[in-house]
Order: sequence, then C-alpha cells, then structure tokens
Amino acid sequence: MSRIGVFICQCGTNIADTVDTEKVAEEMKKIPGVVHTQDYKFMCSSPGQKMLKEAVKKHRLDGMIVSACSPHMHEKTFRRACESAGINPYMCEIANIREQCSWVHHDKTKETGTVKSLDLTRMTIERLKKNQPLKPNKIPVNKRALIIGGGIAGIQAALDIADGGREVLLVEKTPSIGGNMAKLSETFPTMDCSQCILTPKMVEAELHENITLMTYSEVEKIEGFIGNFRVTIRKKARYVNEELCTGCGDCWDKCPFKQDSEFEHGLKKRKVIYTPFPQSVPNIPVIDAPNCAMLQKGKCGVCAKVCGPKAVDFEQKDIVVEEKVGAIVVATGYDLMPNEHFGEYGYGRIKDVINGLQFERLASSSGPTGGKILRPSDGKEPQSIVFIQCAGSRDEKKGVSYCSKICCMYTAKHTMLYRHKVHDGQSYVFYMDIRSGGKRYEEFVRGAIEKDGAMYLRGRVSRVYEKDGKVIVQGADTLSDSQVEIEADMVVLATALVSRPGADTLAQKLGIGYDKHKFYNEYHPKLKPVETVTAGIFLAGTCLGPMDVPESVAQGSAAASKVLVLTSSDEMIKDPTTAIVNDFTCNACWDCVVACPYSAIEKTDIKDREGNVIRRLAHVNDGVCTGCGTCVAACRSKAIDLKGYTDEQVYAAINAF
Amino acid sequence: MEKALREKARELLTTGEANVIIGYEWNRRKTRATPAFITKADEVDRLIFNPLCVNNLSIYLTRKNKDILRMGKPAIVAKGCDIKNIVVLISEGQVKREDVVIIGMSCNGVVYKQGLWKGELRPEIMPVKCHNCDVRNPHLTDFVIGDHIDFTPPETPRGMVFDKIAALDAKTPGERWSFWLEEFSRCIKCYACRQACSLCYCERCITEKNVPQWIETSAHQRGNIAWNLVRAMHLAGRCTFCGECERSCPANIKLNLVNQKLVLTVKDAFDFKSGYDEKIHPPMIVFSPDDTENFIK
Amino acid sequence: MSQENTEETQATETTETFEPKIMAFVCNWCTYAGADLAGTSRMEYRPNVRIIKLPCTGRIDPLFIIKAFENGADGVLVSGCHPGDCHYTAGNYHAKRRWIAFRSLMEFTGIDTRRLQFSWISASEALKWVDLINNVTDEIKALGPFMDFKNLKG
Repeated sequence: MSRIGVFICQCGTNIADTVDTEKVAEEMKKIPGVVHTQDYKFMCSSPGQKMLKEAVKKHRLDGMIVSACSPHMHEKTFRRACESAGINPYMCEIANIREQCSWVHHDKTKETGTVKSLDLTRMTIERLKKNQPLKPNKIPVNKRALIIGGGIAGIQAALDIADGGREVLLVEKTPSIGGNMAKLSETFPTMDCSQCILTPKMVEAELHENITLMTYSEVEKIEGFIGNFRVTIRKKARYVNEELCTGCGDCWDKCPFKQDSEFEHGLKKRKVIYTPFPQSVPNIPVIDAPNCAMLQKGKCGVCAKVCGPKAVDFEQKDIVVEEKVGAIVVATGYDLMPNEHFGEYGYGRIKDVINGLQFERLASSSGPTGGKILRPSDGKEPQSIVFIQCAGSRDEKKGVSYCSKICCMYTAKHTMLYRHKVHDGQSYVFYMDIRSGGKRYEEFVRGAIEKDGAMYLRGRVSRVYEKDGKVIVQGADTLSDSQVEIEADMVVLATALVSRPGADTLAQKLGIGYDKHKFYNEYHPKLKPVETVTAGIFLAGTCLGPMDVPESVAQGSAAASKVLVLTSSDEMIKDPTTAIVNDFTCNACWDCVVACPYSAIEKTDIKDREGNVIRRLAHVNDGVCTGCGTCVAACRSKAIDLKGYTDEQVYAAINAF
Repeated sequence: MEKALREKARELLTTGEANVIIGYEWNRRKTRATPAFITKADEVDRLIFNPLCVNNLSIYLTRKNKDILRMGKPAIVAKGCDIKNIVVLISEGQVKREDVVIIGMSCNGVVYKQGLWKGELRPEIMPVKCHNCDVRNPHLTDFVIGDHIDFTPPETPRGMVFDKIAALDAKTPGERWSFWLEEFSRCIKCYACRQACSLCYCERCITEKNVPQWIETSAHQRGNIAWNLVRAMHLAGRCTFCGECERSCPANIKLNLVNQKLVLTVKDAFDFKSGYDEKIHPPMIVFSPDDTENFIK
Repeated sequence: MSQENTEETQATETTETFEPKIMAFVCNWCTYAGADLAGTSRMEYRPNVRIIKLPCTGRIDPLFIIKAFENGADGVLVSGCHPGDCHYTAGNYHAKRRWIAFRSLMEFTGIDTRRLQFSWISASEALKWVDLINNVTDEIKALGPFMDFKNLKG
C-alpha cells in the first residue's frame, strides 16, 4: 500500500479565496493510501518546502501530491524537494488547482472551487498510485563535433568549439573553406575588406590543433543520435597528394586548359588544376576531373611533370570514411537564385547585366579586374550603373515570397564602392522599400544617398534591353509617378538568396525539417533559434534563411555554445519520460517505428546461439525518444508504453473521475 | 484447375521450394472445404479448389499458428481476397514476401452456404464481396492457376452491406445506437471474430491485457461495446473486407457493417484501400499535413 | 393535463440542476498551457471540465475516450496544438488521422458526436479555451446526462 502525502497550497489567498483547502485536506485523508494531508499558505516558500521534507520523514511517505499552481510553474520545485527528502522525484505529482480552478471559478462561497479541487486532487492521487520511480536516462556523449559547411558561420562555430577544447571536424564541399563571404569585396556597414577579416579566421581554422579540415568532401550518411552520431563522409579525389603538395602553384601555372571560375562567377577563367582563389585554405589544388585531358583521355599530364614534390596523383580515388561525433552543426549557406528567373532583366543574355556577387568580384582588389569596376562586355569603365533590388525576392509569382534581407544593404554598399572607384559615375537604385534595420545600417544607406550620390528610385523595372552598347532600363518611379528610362552602362541585380541545391536531401539524411523554400527549420523561431527537432543537430547561418555576416557569425557562436554545453560532460542526462517496449508482447508490426516522429524506434533481432534470428522486436532508443507517446497510441497490443504517462496512470486517472 | 493446382503443389514439394502447402481439401463427408496442410508430394491429390473454398487461409501465415510456421516454408493457395490480407501482413512485417510462395487462384466467386451450392455458381448465392471483387485475377502471386477472368466490378460498390450502411447513416444517432446495442448485446465474447481474422495477429490481444484492463472481459453490454469498437478501430485502414469475422460469428453480429464503414471512411479521408500494395504503410500510422476534416474546432 | 404539466416541470428541473461531467484530454504544450493562461488572466468558465494532461495529442488513444464514457462522462473533449505547431513536430497530425476514423466509427455507432468534441487550442488561446468549455458545457447540459452509456449494464 502506498504512503501518500497530500499537500494543499493556499497560495496566499489565490487559492484559498475560492477553495476550502482545509476541507480538501480533510477529504483526501479518507482515500486509501493517503497517510498525511495538510494545507498551508505557501507550499513553494522555503518554510513550505521544509514542511514537505519533514512530512516525508515523519510519515515515511513514498509519494507526494501537491495541489497548487500549474505544474508548469512549480513541478520542478516540488520534485526537487522530494528528491532532497529521499523520494524519487517522479513520485511527486501536481494537481493544478490554481490556474485551472481557483483562478477561473470565482464562486466566493468556495463551493465550486472546492468540488473541482477535490476531483482534481483525487484523480492525481489515483494516478500517483500507479507511478513508478524513474531514473533520468544517461546517454554517453562523444565530445567531437562535426560542422557541415566551411563558410563564415561554420568557421566561427568550429573555432569556438575548438577553443572550448573540443575536437572539430569541419567538412566543406568545395576545395577551400571561406564560403560566400570570401567572395565579398568590402562588408557593410564598416567597409572592412572581407578578405582581411575572413582570411585570418580561415588560417586559424586550418592551424587550430583541435580542428580537422576536410575540404572537397561531402557528408553521405548520418546514423545514430545525440551524442552518438556516425557520419559517413566522402573525400572526393583531388588527384593531388595533400601530404606532399606545397601549394607552390607550378602546376596551375603550366596547366594548358581553362574553365570558367566558379569562385569568380564566370567573370574569369581558372585552370583545370586549380585552387578556387589565391587565399584558399588549404592551399592545395584539385583537378577538375571531367575537364582534365589526362584523366579523360590520358593525354597531357603537364602538372605532374612540373610538380617538384611529385604530389599530382592521377590514380587517386574517392575515400569514404566513417567518423563518430556527438554533435553536428549544419552551416551549408545559400546560393543566388539562378539566371533563368530573370528573363525580363536580361540576365545571362546581356553581358553587362550581372548579379550582386559578380559585382563584389569586380570591386574586389583580388578579383578579375584587380578591383577596377569594368564592364564584362568590353572592359570599359561604366559611367552609370543601375542597381535593381528585389530581383526575385518578395515576388511570389516569379520568384520567392520572402525578403532576402541583405540586398538593401549590399546595394547601398555597391553604390558607395562604385562612387569611390569611379568618381564621376552615377548609380541608380530601383527599390521597393529600403530595409536597413540594424546597428548603423540606416546611417549607412543615408550615406550612400547623401554623400555618395546614389539616386534611389522607388519602383519596379519592367524591361532591360541592349541598344548601341548601352543597357536600357525602363521602369517606374512611383514617387514622382512617372516612367523612367535610363541608358546605363551596366546593371546589377540584387538577386534573391535561395537555399543550396540539395538542401532537402541533406535535411532528409539528418532528419531535420525544412520549409517550402528548403531553408532549414529551427526548433523554435524565437527561443530555440539554432536547435533543430533532432537533438544534437544545430543550425547556423544562411541555411536557415537570408541573413548577413554578423548574424551568421552570431549563430555560429550560438550553435558552438550549444555544442559545448552538450559536450561539457561525458554523459548527458535526459528526461526519463521515454517509451518502452514490452519484449514479450511486441508483434514486430513496426507501426511504432513508422509512426515515431523522431525515428527513435529501431527494429532489433533476437538471435539464438547459432545466430539465427528467432524473434524481431521494436526497441526504443532512449537517446532519441522525446516522450510524445505517439507510438503508444499506435500500438494495438499495447506492447509499448510511455514512462511517466503509462496506460495504467491514465487509466487510474480516468477511473477516479 | 484442381489438376494444375495439384501439379504445381507436387512440383513445389518435390523441388523443396516449399515445405508445406496450405490449401483446401474436402471434409470427410465431402460437404465442405476445409483447410489442408500438405507436406508430402504424394498427398497433393487431396487438394481441391471450388467455390466452397471460402476460408481465408492467410491466418495460417501469422504468429497465431506457430505450429504451422514450424512446418517450414509455406506455399499458400490464395484467392485474390485472401491475397489482400497477405499484402497487409507483408506491409506490417508479419510475413516476408520471399518467405511465402503464393499460388494465386483465379476465382469467380465463392458460396458461403454449402446448401446453396449445387455445382453451379450463380450471382444470387455469392456474398457481397464477390460481386464487388476487383481481384478475381489475383494480384500478388508467384503462380496463377486458372484462366484470366474478365470481370469489372461496379464503380461504386453495391450490395446489402452497402445498402445497410446507407440506411443506418440515414437514421438518427439514437436509432443507430439502439441497433448496435441490440447487435452487440448478442456478443458472447467468444472472440471467434478475432480468431478468424488474419489481421488480428497480436501476440497478446488488447482484451487480454489486464494491467490495465481497458476492455472489460465479461460478456455484458459495456464490455461488448468496448470490445467491438476497439476491434473495429484496430482494423481501420487494414481491414480488407474478407468477411471472415462476420462469417465466423456465432451470434451473427453484423461486423461487416462496422468494418466496411471504416473501409469507406479511410477511402474517403485518406484515399487508401488496404490490401493492394505491400510496400505502403497502413494509413493509420502515417499522416499527410493535408488531411482534412470538418469537426475539429 | 395537470399530470403532463408536472412531468414537464420535473424534466426542466432535472435539466437545470444537471451538471455534466466533462473529461478533457489535452496536450501538455498547447492546450494545457492555454488553459493555464485562462487562469493567469483570471477569466471565468464553467467548472464542469476535468483535465487529464498528456504529453501530446499523439498519445491519446481511443481507449481513453471509451473509458471516460464508461466512467460516466457526459462529454469528452480532446484538444492539442494546431497542426504545424506540435511540440513533437507531428504527434497532432497522427492524432488527427486517428480522430477522423474514430469519430466516424462513433458516429456510425450512434454516439451523439456533440458529446465528443475535438479542437486545436494554442498556448495563447485562453479565450478560445474558455469559449469552448462554456459552449460544450452548455450544449451537453442541454442534451442531458449521457444515458446511452450510463444505462449500459456492466
């Protein structure tokens, strides 16, 4: 027989005004199994809690009901008190007689509130009789972290985690880390040179003793769960031995074949053996296999001949490795919306219509023009440039519904860079609204307009076409209510930021959610901005949606702090409210396996001594299970139950109703 | 047809492709077809196939019949309607496709009452399921015995069960309640419905779980209603309308009505018909964000 | 004539004094929190509902509902997070499917569906909770005790 103590809180007058707590205490004493009842002014106060603990000892209680405020308020408090008095904290249950009784039934005769409090307390007592002491689940935690994506968000996360003393595996798809930020010329609103602030971080990531870089590599498979992930990574063949290569550059100097440079967005050629940009980390080239004459036809091999340390290796193959990590940060970044969306703006058709990142390259001192703003078509300095904002953004019909967030700022920056480099050049900006929320952002845009003479026109562009070596832009200026036609030398489109191609496939591998634009879903948009529904997997940067560099860096650090918390001890303590399978009655129909929103249930084989499978069973992985109970309702034979919310507990509560 | 079936059975047993043939044979008085389990090649001539072969033999593939599972790899003689149940069993991991040889039988319909069978199959003597059958040519098989049958079932299913459902739907809740109260009051909790159903394969049936005892086991009205409602719910999205539960019910409770009602509900709400694709999960354990209803406030 | 009148008066009286018992199965994260908010905001509603808190609507088994009726509930209420808001991402979608089938079954069996109500109530929809409880209570009060189940012989 259980020995239950029932404590009824008056909450000052909050409960006592409409509930006769003394009567509740008296009545509850009559229930079998209840050995002690008491009402008190403030159960949550320290005298109240002291009273609880003393009662536990005095009456040798093995369970406790506190009829008080919502469990969302003080369940933890009372369970902790229980624990310190020597009872299992899960043997303490709260009957909510404040939020769901005294505060919503204002009957001053106390009749209504008392009747309901009696019911609620009785139901909770009957439920408690079926409670089982629960122990928190302890999950071993592998302290290594995997970062997917070596842009600024990923680099920041890697550095913070590594500085925190944990090993980091930084996996980057392209031959070098740096991401989109490496392409930028200057950054708003301070006009720092992007390379100048990013390169030191890239080098630090390369040299950090806790960071292992895996560039030109892709994550293929993710198994396991929080603290215990197994990740399969494909290291694509570089055809260059990383151990031997010194990065001297003789190979790419001598390579006779050229291709459009991805890094320069087609504004420049690169060799077939190449590093994406001069500051690449690691400074080790890769061979663009599909375009290499040696690899395709067996003719050439110049790079191998000129290579001093004999690092070029045409026989190299992809290597697939499995790594174990405890946490994963996804920082896969963004892409720009592809050309085909902008037919009316002539993008891809007219050479002098370029996108924002191409303009960054033109303005960059390490770019294809050495920092001079020159037209791609004839290399002349443009005397006027039209910037078109919201190219694809905020346009559900032709592009995407959302605002790409950074374009207002970078366009203002572009007009400034242009004016600083071409002093008599005139820039025009077609915009919908100027969105310059952010520290010193509004002042920055004002500067572009007032100091650097950018001409802002509020309206959309209807057509862009070529005429006599000029790019003619026709559009509306809604503020003066007139049609404008500008004969420009160049047009820059602030194209929408979109998710990476294949973002959805990666999400499916990781088991995380994504929205219709294939940006990843945070667990909670306000309170858990870098977590995902899959425990142990965190997000940072523009894979979540458009954001600027400071935000990406902040998210990288935020994700890193989450990883550091997770890896701060060898074991992770998890709430014991998880599902459990009854091995004797499981039908192995896998309904629970299919229904589980977290893939927390596995199919396991029971084998005999010879290794023959004699039975198959569902098995809940406590590390992954979050305790929603969907599996329990799905199980026809009730071979699965949810600790803390067992069928017996619910049944007892219903029966006491 | 029987000749071809016996030849196939002989071949399977001789080559060892199957260790036991689960099929039909005559009872001693040759009045009824009864399940047969044939393990020896020289006994295959016992096998028969005719419209009296009504039993859904798929129950012998489930964990309920461990003694039969122990006989080795089975080859099962199955009509299209029986195969639907095998499909569900495969999709629920109870049978592996490669672990069973399915001898599909072309079928023009069955006859429940032996008395009506005079050697000629007439529509009047066939149950509703046969009139609406879209698997007279069995759909998931290793071999098909019998000729191809040209038969197109009516677009919207017809027959007494469907008329009765429509009639009940048209009544007031009170009238429906009285109807079911009367039906379920006859239940004697013999669980024949469960025993005959190959989809009721639970290691331990919910009604046998006594901690807590959700369903009262005595054959009183409260327990009877709970049992029959819960069984119907457990078959939602799974029941193939083979009709074995109603056929086996000694109290003649109209179980086909509840089960078919839920078959229709599942079809309407989730566009799902069970028993056709063994690779698809039953609908009650998956969802679509686009599921629509009109009652959640 | 007078006898008829007396009967009518008695009937009205029982309806007026009848206080229905309503059992509510709600999820911990949305509806339970919404009900809490109604308290924090000192709203007032009918006192007839008794809540059983579950982690998620996905945990709610039709068995609970049948058992509640067997135990004399005059009405049962089931409520959780709005679709898309589930704390466990998808429990409520699973629940919705189950309810669609189960409600159809209950309806077919002749159980008055006004006695079994479903709703989505978020943690901020205290007012919706209050309105729901009031409406359901009044509706079930008007229907009278759920004799269908209470009369069942056990």
